[in-house]
Amino acid sequence: MARAAELTGPETRRLNRLSPPPALLLVPAGLFLVVFFLVPYLNMVRMSFLTKAPGAAFTHVLTVENYLRVLQDAFYWRVIARTFWLAGLTTLLTLILGYPLAYTIARAGGRRRPLLLMLLLAPLLVGAVVRSYGWMIWLGRVGLINQALRALGWGEAELMYNTLGVLIGLVHVYLPFMALAIASSLEQIPADVELAARSLGASPWRAFWRVTWPLSLPGVFSGAMLVFVLALSAYVIPILLGGNNVLVMPMLIVQMLLDAFHWPLGSAMAMVLFGLASLVLWLYVKAMNRALRWIPR
Amino acid sequence: MASVQLAEVTKRFGSVAAVWRLTLEVRDGELLTLLGPSGCGKTTTLKLVAGFLAPEEGRIRFGGRDVTTLPPEHRNVGIVFQNYALFPHMTVAQNVAFGLEVRGRPASEVRARVGEILERVQLQGLEHRYPHQLSGGQQQRVALARALVINPQVLLLDEPLANLDAKLREEVRFYIRHLQRELGITTIYVTHDQAEAMVLADRIALLRDGVLQQVAPPEEIYRRPRSRWVADFVGLCNFLPGQVLGREDGSLVVETPVGVLRCAGAADAGRVVVCVRPESLRQDAGGTNRIAGVVRERTFLGNLLDLRVSCPRGVVLRVQLPPVRDIRPGESLTLAFEPQDAWAVPEED
Repeated sequence: MARAAELTGPETRRLNRLSPPPALLLVPAGLFLVVFFLVPYLNMVRMSFLTKAPGAAFTHVLTVENYLRVLQDAFYWRVIARTFWLAGLTTLLTLILGYPLAYTIARAGGRRRPLLLMLLLAPLLVGAVVRSYGWMIWLGRVGLINQALRALGWGEAELMYNTLGVLIGLVHVYLPFMALAIASSLEQIPADVELAARSLGASPWRAFWRVTWPLSLPGVFSGAMLVFVLALSAYVIPILLGGNNVLVMPMLIVQMLLDAFHWPLGSAMAMVLFGLASLVLWLYVKAMNRALRWIPR
Repeated sequence: MASVQLAEVTKRFGSVAAVWRLTLEVRDGELLTLLGPSGCGKTTTLKLVAGFLAPEEGRIRFGGRDVTTLPPEHRNVGIVFQNYALFPHMTVAQNVAFGLEVRGRPASEVRARVGEILERVQLQGLEHRYPHQLSGGQQQRVALARALVINPQVLLLDEPLANLDAKLREEVRFYIRHLQRELGITTIYVTHDQAEAMVLADRIALLRDGVLQQVAPPEEIYRRPRSRWVADFVGLCNFLPGQVLGREDGSLVVETPVGVLRCAGAADAGRVVVCVRPESLRQDAGGTNRIAGVVRERTFLGNLLDLRVSCPRGVVLRVQLPPVRDIRPGESLTLAFEPQDAWAVPEED
């Protein structure tokens, strides 16, 4: 056809030039990541193999001493275990609290939906620091809850500067991420699928467990991954609501870098955390792909 | 199997009645199509029968047993949804087995019955595929198998052919009819496609704005519509308004703009509309009713010539003739039809 012939002409070539090849589209973000993420990270890897010098952060002598110190000291392992435990527990609690929330949002019709979403997202407009201070007003020894308990003559409760306080803060801050991920997954489930299960003899609960829940797993998995990673690297919340009583890896790393001025050891600790987190995520993604093998690829 | 009775069933959404005082019986083993334009309440009716919605008024019974307030899982109804609503995370076999598993049937029985029904719908060998790995036609058959495997009292089909391409639609239409007859299962089939309703139905129930217009076998709906709206919705139709003059030899005598016509009809007096199908008109100078006209437009349809013929007083008739002889625009002709091929309905609306 005459038209087809025209399509290879100079006009088309100019048009093609207007839309760059896909790889080119990755350049801006890629450049940003290389400069501000990859280079600092590689620098940190290098740093973790250097030696601490008296009176300076490091000296250029290669060693594995830093890694040995981290891996051989039971103290560090306890902190690592606590960090992972807190992140895992935060993930579980946000899931338990977030799922019904997500379900309500996903099923809310008309004008209620944007309102619920707004309520869920509003806390994100305030930073974690401000929100942690907010929690301190509630949870502190002279906080509102303890004032109320004392007024009722029930003594007082240790709500802050312990694991409970950190957990409350983490769950509160990361709940929206979990709820949003699950809600977007739930919204993609056609309403008829649940009705089909009901018509085939399943009670509402049965229909939920056999159909709705498995179909919402993509959102559960991605929400859990997001919250876990965020909670693992949380720094501000454990410091403010845990005081120095709940020591987690990010706090320890910052202390090592800023207070002890031991950059190589701090870097090695960061690399160990990174390595363990990567391992956990790798296993997690493998399990997830198994559970979600019904999704078209 | 069971009959389905709806008695004075009303369902409102806000202030709008989606279904209004619907009284309808689907006989045991019958295939009834619910036909009507979109928004006429046919899908709402289906959901009421399935138990997904509860009526504000009226009762629903399956074979005499009141199920009005029974939840869907206790109604033993098989449903094929328009989008099939297959469980995407289950294989074909798991989809079909679902209804038996929730009923707590032993694994050996489940396996046997799933195998049996998959063979029946010709899906052997695809047991372990996921729905997204199937064609539209195959998905449709999985949906059918899943609905039938539980031996439902009633089968509900919600526009089951809407997502198939034209050729497959024709094939599956006959297949569904065949399967339904073979199983003798009471079936309600929702569609907006009148051709589909004609081919499939034992009887058609026509709905308009939530109100039942007529329930009758396809031929009766087509040849003896209860109203102008029914005649207009099903097939093509010419409408000639007129005044009843009386009855003669069993035929109704009606004065219309194109002359005095004899036709069939229930009315005995007053204003009526005479409905004449385009294929009931023929070119003939000797028929009972004769109308002279001039051809304005002509379209060749292969098996038919589709004509628009100008008649006296500005009346334009749509005429479909077998193309034994070509007729050109501008040609004069005399159209004729017999009294039993035209039907007068009361003037309304």
